[in-house]
Amino acid sequence: MIAFLTGVQQIMTGELLLVVFIGTLLGIFVGALPGLSGSTTSALLLPLTVTMNPVTAIAFLGAIYCAANYGGSITAILINTPGDPSASATAFDGYPMAARGEAGRALGMSAVASTIGGIFSVLVLVVATPLLSRFAYSFGPPEYFALAVFGLSMLGAVGGAGALKSLIAGCFGVLLACVGMDLTTGVERFTFGLPDLTDGISFVPVLTGLFAVAELIDQATRLDEKLVRLPMAAAKLPTVGDFRKAGKSIGIGSILGTLIGVLPALGATTAAIITYNEVRRFSRYKEEFGKGAIEGIAGPEAANNSAVGGSMVPTLALGIPGSATTAIILAGLLVQGVRPGPHLFNEQPQFLYAVFGSMLAANLIFLVLGLFLAKLFAMITLIPNALLWPGVLFCSVIGAYAPNQAMGDVWTMLAFGVIGFFFRRHGFSPAPLVMGLVLGQMVEESLKQSLLIFDQRWMGFLERPIAVTLFIVTLTLLALPALARGVRALRGRAA
Amino acid sequence: MTVSFRHTRTRPTLSRRRILATPLLAAPFIAGHAWAQERFPSRTIEVVTHAGVGGGTDITARMMMVQAPAEFGQELVVVNRVGGSGAAALAYAASKPRDGHTILLITQTHLLTVMRNRAPGISYSDIVGLARATEDPQVLMVGKGSPHKTAQAFIAAAKAQKMKFGTTQVGGVDHLAVFGFAKQAGIQQPTIVPFRGGGDIAINLVSGNVDAALLNPSEPEAQIRAGDVIPLLTLHEERIATLKDVPTAKELGFTSVHATTRGFAVLKGVPEDRIAILEDRLVKSMSSPLFRNYLDSTGQARSSVAGRQVWQAQLDAFNADGREALTALGVAQ
Repeated sequence: MIAFLTGVQQIMTGELLLVVFIGTLLGIFVGALPGLSGSTTSALLLPLTVTMNPVTAIAFLGAIYCAANYGGSITAILINTPGDPSASATAFDGYPMAARGEAGRALGMSAVASTIGGIFSVLVLVVATPLLSRFAYSFGPPEYFALAVFGLSMLGAVGGAGALKSLIAGCFGVLLACVGMDLTTGVERFTFGLPDLTDGISFVPVLTGLFAVAELIDQATRLDEKLVRLPMAAAKLPTVGDFRKAGKSIGIGSILGTLIGVLPALGATTAAIITYNEVRRFSRYKEEFGKGAIEGIAGPEAANNSAVGGSMVPTLALGIPGSATTAIILAGLLVQGVRPGPHLFNEQPQFLYAVFGSMLAANLIFLVLGLFLAKLFAMITLIPNALLWPGVLFCSVIGAYAPNQAMGDVWTMLAFGVIGFFFRRHGFSPAPLVMGLVLGQMVEESLKQSLLIFDQRWMGFLERPIAVTLFIVTLTLLALPALARGVRALRGRAA
Repeated sequence: MTVSFRHTRTRPTLSRRRILATPLLAAPFIAGHAWAQERFPSRTIEVVTHAGVGGGTDITARMMMVQAPAEFGQELVVVNRVGGSGAAALAYAASKPRDGHTILLITQTHLLTVMRNRAPGISYSDIVGLARATEDPQVLMVGKGSPHKTAQAFIAAAKAQKMKFGTTQVGGVDHLAVFGFAKQAGIQQPTIVPFRGGGDIAINLVSGNVDAALLNPSEPEAQIRAGDVIPLLTLHEERIATLKDVPTAKELGFTSVHATTRGFAVLKGVPEDRIAILEDRLVKSMSSPLFRNYLDSTGQARSSVAGRQVWQAQLDAFNADGREALTALGVAQ
């Protein structure tokens, strides 16, 4: 802990704090805009971070990620449209509260609960990541293979579009990861002789296309929608009475959110919805829910922000993304030449300090900004679409072209914009595709490397305790739903 | 006037700096003096690299360019053409007039790409070396758990038993170096386990997943200092300053010299007098204190900087060895 604080102190220079401040401001801004989510913005700004130094880049993305989850609640409360998917549960009670003239109270509770949840999860992250990093040198290709299989087994649950559709999207991502020169044979695959494809399909244009361009096309199909904004006074700090009532919800939200966030595949949105249900279950005022219960805001807001810290644990410690945004942050690290994993803490602890420090700072910054400037942020929704989305496209094209100065990347981005649009149209989520793309390369390379190390003996995996443990965890999690169904059937017969 | 007209028309991608630099710097020469066309260089020189911004090769180019404008009397800009292991950079250079205003910063990777016919329309004889910039020697290294604590012991063991070597891409520069080293040392051709980069290889050396690797000394610097990775043998003409205790292959009685090298080149067709000017100015630019400091800080010898005689000979040797190795490994096309 002392080492951690020293590290954070060293890393948090004025320049970095400024970057975190800008990231937080930007995060609230885009979080509050319906359509522009934290993941879209991270994808859009990924190319910009390529030119930063790695520590600054990760601090910037981390701040956006934290703040966007809070920003989403502003629009959820004031116009009943979650500005970020993770705020959808906040609208259930936030909008009714605002409708009866208590918008300031709702926004104040949202800011405070978000900050508490966010800081709780960062503290968990501080403790958990180094623990996982102890395994550093025990992690070779066989262990990474087992990890990647574990990550892929979660594909069905990512994105919340239904298991089958998520699996289809995930497989598509894995197939895309096959494009390019194969590391272990030196053979080019699916490149059609195009030099642009030799190094594989780059992350940046795929992510920009899937999230930003697809959203733009989607928005263009519903230009005539009008949003109604409720009036509000300034945000109010929650009273002691509010705290007494909502304290338990914040606690439940922080713990559940962190735990759900840690699980690969499940992110802030799932955490918020599950917490909403649990908070209601344990509440003494069940009848208030859906009609403007303050607990119904506090719980999900604490949960979606604590899921942020939680999902950074597997991303940084194992290199497995816990959500769509962390998949983008992971891609950002890979583009920088930083490979997250157990080694990161031993070799480049400054990254972890930067992440921890910037996330803590972002949580405090959005508390202050949220309390004082919520009214201003609510004006964001008045920006006309005709100005907003062309600007997004402009940034997307520049962002895709800039890192490699290759038009091929721009075409890739536009193609994935169209793919992403059809994904939405037909109820697929882009998140499993991104996970498949990231993990597909890892699963194939680590398997081939392992077999070379084991002299092509498949049984070699059984001699690696960590790999075996991971395989058992994977199998158990896969079998759990079937087992639960069996137990229920048995009980039903007994009764 | 003709010069300036032609190059604006044939240049599809003008960088912002170029647009600013060209009229400012080139115009006085062209408009003001009748002998402008004889003078070389008469406009901004483009340095084409296959590395992304911030990569090792990109940094080498930018380090050279600190001093270069003073030597050349012209601006220089880096053009990053990433993709196809150098194919994109070669194709870009081939699309430019062969007048010496486009130079390539190449590595052995470019030569391999050409050898494997991955750069359409360019063969090895089209590449003309100008000057070598950096030469990072390869060093044979093992993990701390290895039973072989000296180069002699390792080589003796590797004659009896097939070792596992961590490298980067199959068919890439590192793979060829391992092939060459095994042949020269008379050991069994090892099993190749490819990884994404030097850092990964170092980790797998420590954990014992691979027996050995050829690495540049700067890559596993932290692990060497911690005693987790042990350097056994330097594949260089002489011992390396930072690894004074590590013998060279020559001291053990065989010749095996492998290094990661970078240097400047042009495509065939540039007039001989311009090649001479380019060589002279490049070497002068790289003799600056700043470039020397860069070499020192990355553990490379100051003798890395060399003129075209040395560099061209090295390219020729690599081309010959590389072709042979690719055929033997079955990865040539």
